Amino acid sequence: MIKFEQIEKQYPDGTIALQNIDLSIPRGEFCVLLGHSGAGKSTLLRIVNGLVAPTKGRTVVDGIELSKKTIPAARRKVSMIHQDFNLVKRASVAVNVMSGALAHVPLLLSVLGWFPAHMRRKCCELVARVDLGEKHLYRRVDSLSGGQQQRVGIARALMLNPLVVLADEPVASLDPSASHEVLSLLRSLAREHDCTVLCSLHQVDLARRFGDRIVGLEGGHIVFDLDPGKVDQKALALVYANYDDPHGQEAIEAARVENLVDTGLKKI
Amino acid sequence: MKEAAKNPEKWELSPPYGVKTVLLVIAVFIFLSFSARHSDIDKMFYMLGEAGGRILGLTDSSQVVSGTGRVIDSMFPLRISEETPVARIENFDRDNLPFFSRVETETIEVSRFNVQSMQLEVTEQSREILVEPVGYVLYAMKKMVETIEIALWATIFAIIISIPLAYYSASNYSPNRLTYGTSRSLVSFFRAVPELISAMFLVLAFGFGPIAGILALGIHSAGFLGKFYAEDIENADRGPQEALQAIGASKIKMLRYAVLPQVLPQYLAYSMYIMDRNVRMATVVGIVGAGGIGQELKGRYDMFDYGHVGTILLLIFITVLLLDQIASRIRARLI
Repeated sequence: MIKFEQIEKQYPDGTIALQNIDLSIPRGEFCVLLGHSGAGKSTLLRIVNGLVAPTKGRTVVDGIELSKKTIPAARRKVSMIHQDFNLVKRASVAVNVMSGALAHVPLLLSVLGWFPAHMRRKCCELVARVDLGEKHLYRRVDSLSGGQQQRVGIARALMLNPLVVLADEPVASLDPSASHEVLSLLRSLAREHDCTVLCSLHQVDLARRFGDRIVGLEGGHIVFDLDPGKVDQKALALVYANYDDPHGQEAIEAARVENLVDTGLKKI
Repeated sequence: MKEAAKNPEKWELSPPYGVKTVLLVIAVFIFLSFSARHSDIDKMFYMLGEAGGRILGLTDSSQVVSGTGRVIDSMFPLRISEETPVARIENFDRDNLPFFSRVETETIEVSRFNVQSMQLEVTEQSREILVEPVGYVLYAMKKMVETIEIALWATIFAIIISIPLAYYSASNYSPNRLTYGTSRSLVSFFRAVPELISAMFLVLAFGFGPIAGILALGIHSAGFLGKFYAEDIENADRGPQEALQAIGASKIKMLRYAVLPQVLPQYLAYSMYIMDRNVRMATVVGIVGAGGIGQELKGRYDMFDYGHVGTILLLIFITVLLLDQIASRIRARLI
């Protein structure tokens, strides 16, 4: 579904964000990109919908090789969920959800704020599906809690039945219980719609719990690419080793203990 | 970084200002003192002091107090009624007088040159006049409504003109540098033309009346709104715009759905400020003949009808006050 070949990205200020990325993600997979901030997760995600153009290499999304000409076509198959939700705060939930389908609304109708009936129906279905009620339709987004806002973001992302959903740290600004809620919702909705999800996270526990596959990024390189069950302390050390990050150290420690328990259980 | 953290005694925290700043302040003071002499600031304070002394009874005479007093004396009583000699009214219908009006007879002294005696003779004549008790106030109010209408249309045209101008002069939406530069300079040009001066020339082109006023005010305020709108578009939160860009929405759709909801309250506040300002400026541009109450004011002022002028000034004052109140209520409700 998504295929990166020899991707390299260097920003104009000289920082190298990505190097030698070769990755191929099959249809329907929930692939987690794990890494410290600045590891290149967001850049890799943004390459898929053309928000960032790689310096080198080719990207193929659903058989379309990305280039300036093909990006508009590719964008119709790819939707995105953002860390800060990126919803229009003063607009209603319904308008925010329906704006996910803007690319398919004729210009004049969209300027008048008039969405076709089938889109309004789809919007209601999606709002119900992300566990919000009819009374939320007209509520302004900034009156909702963070978890509810991200669920609106998910509904918006599913408006066009995308083949690929990019989630850029979707739970970074949410508390742990809301994070679980949002990720499990995203996962089950992706299953339902048979979407491929490319999700960047920095919480190891969430990555192991929700990912079908975890790709570790460090300094623009892929340092591991494993099943969630096989992510152990050695793998995590590759991601977090260079940082004095208590969170990362904790995760490594937890993985080490788990590993010990596993091997202990096997001996018994 | 860690090295420096250990040696706070080696850090440098420079003082908030140095010799340069002090010298600059002194230079500014010297310039201002020259400029004050040049613009009669000393004389102004002298005259104000004299006026204060006159009011407190310390000095005998003050040009300011006597001048102001004369103007105020001639303004009162304010002119409220309208009196028209019946002889001057065409097709006067005695049985069907205008609302609330009455016919009075007054005697006036008419001086006439007697050809026989070669002398000026004063004779008494009586004539009928039509008195409308609040006639002049009503007339002035009609003119005030005309002024508000000029301001309203100027604002409407300004908004219509400034929307495309704002789109092209917002650096993140303008299609290329040429359109950006052109519309930026157009906006600056519109703003740079003082409405009183453009109204003077527009009166020459379009004749006396509201057209010149509407155009003069509209162009000037389009310059203001174009700049304000464009700056708001540039400063709007990038997040929602990026979200819509990522799903392939065009620039106009991005503006409509990601920018407009963010900036709308601000836009309404600007537009209402411009409307408020246009009402005040519409009375001013009337003075050069661009319609409305300003034109009436200028006419009365030139004919030394200070009673009428007083009524007009009071009416302008009340209107501006009322509009200000209404505007602040609407604004409070919107934001």
